[in-house]
Amino acid sequence: MSDASVSMNESTTATDMAGGMASPGDYIALLKPRVMSLVVFTALVGLVRAPDHVHPVIAFTAILCIAVGAGAAGALNMWWDADIDAIMSRTRRRPIPSGRVTPREALAFGLTLSGFSVVVLGLLVNVLSAALLAFTIFFYVVIYTMWLKRSTPQNIVIGGAAGAFPPMVAWAAASGSVSLESLLLVAIIFFWTPPHFWALALYRADDYARAGVPMLPVTAGANETRRQILLYTLFLVPLAFSPVLLGYAGIAYGVVSAVTGLGMVWLAISVYRTRTGEAAVKAARRLFGFSILYLFLLFATLLVEAFIPGI
Amino acid sequence: MAKDDKPPPPGRVDGVVLTPEQKRRRRARSIAIASVLGFLVLLFYVVTIVKLGPSVLNRPL
Repeated sequence: MSDASVSMNESTTATDMAGGMASPGDYIALLKPRVMSLVVFTALVGLVRAPDHVHPVIAFTAILCIAVGAGAAGALNMWWDADIDAIMSRTRRRPIPSGRVTPREALAFGLTLSGFSVVVLGLLVNVLSAALLAFTIFFYVVIYTMWLKRSTPQNIVIGGAAGAFPPMVAWAAASGSVSLESLLLVAIIFFWTPPHFWALALYRADDYARAGVPMLPVTAGANETRRQILLYTLFLVPLAFSPVLLGYAGIAYGVVSAVTGLGMVWLAISVYRTRTGEAAVKAARRLFGFSILYLFLLFATLLVEAFIPGI
Repeated sequence: MAKDDKPPPPGRVDGVVLTPEQKRRRRARSIAIASVLGFLVLLFYVVTIVKLGPSVLNRPL
């Protein structure tokens, strides 16, 4: 009999064993609930903006599957990134680096939920949306997390596509197709992601540098990041206004898009011009916070316009 | 009887011994899994009714 099997037969407390320590809350934390809430919200907008009527139960199922699929991708991201999460102050309290969930448990959890969300969406809603959800999970986990995140400062630019897909998946769930309007929703989130994340990276650059993640402020410096933030914002704001010009959105969206877009440009200019000291950190924090409000207001207005046409 | 099959001496417990906190967490996980499974059964049932409508009763006997 080997020493290992002898030790397994002796009395052992569970604290000596890896795994089995997590509460349901730890597993919910693996799903990145805050990211998931944004995914649910943008997917909901995609669903109600789609031209076809969809039964509320099917709509609920579609949103649930998209949310679970996004959460599963988040769990797989935490499994892969556990080493750098343990280094960064923003992420070191996550379930894996803090030891509450083992990497194997997170991997099994993420893979199971990925499979379930795609299969259930395919069986209960339609195959196109299930295929798009599978591609979104693949893009986020393999293309972004495993490949781009640690290899290029363009990581969040390209990887941002994964976060932008949910309204298109929901649109496909409702209509069985993908249209220009749904691609426009994707494009708005896609071009919103760089100024949003780089504003955060500006005041978390030390964290990213310590973890070896080549975010733009780490590789190209803060000033180049400020320039890129401004350029992306100057492209994003007219893009976010374009649904009005294309006849996809009404006056309310036009007003909200124009006013909040000016706010984004103002704050991006402020970040570009304020380069030193506490004021620079404050400017980046303000842009980061406002960018969340900006995207929320754009999509909330689209949601309201879907229920109250003509405003 | 194999050597491994001997009963443990009095007062000694073989295997993993969970702390009360770990038992509480295991119970919470089990309840969560059961709830999710129950919810899935309900979801599939309701979606079947919604998709098939009255046709759900139309089957060869």
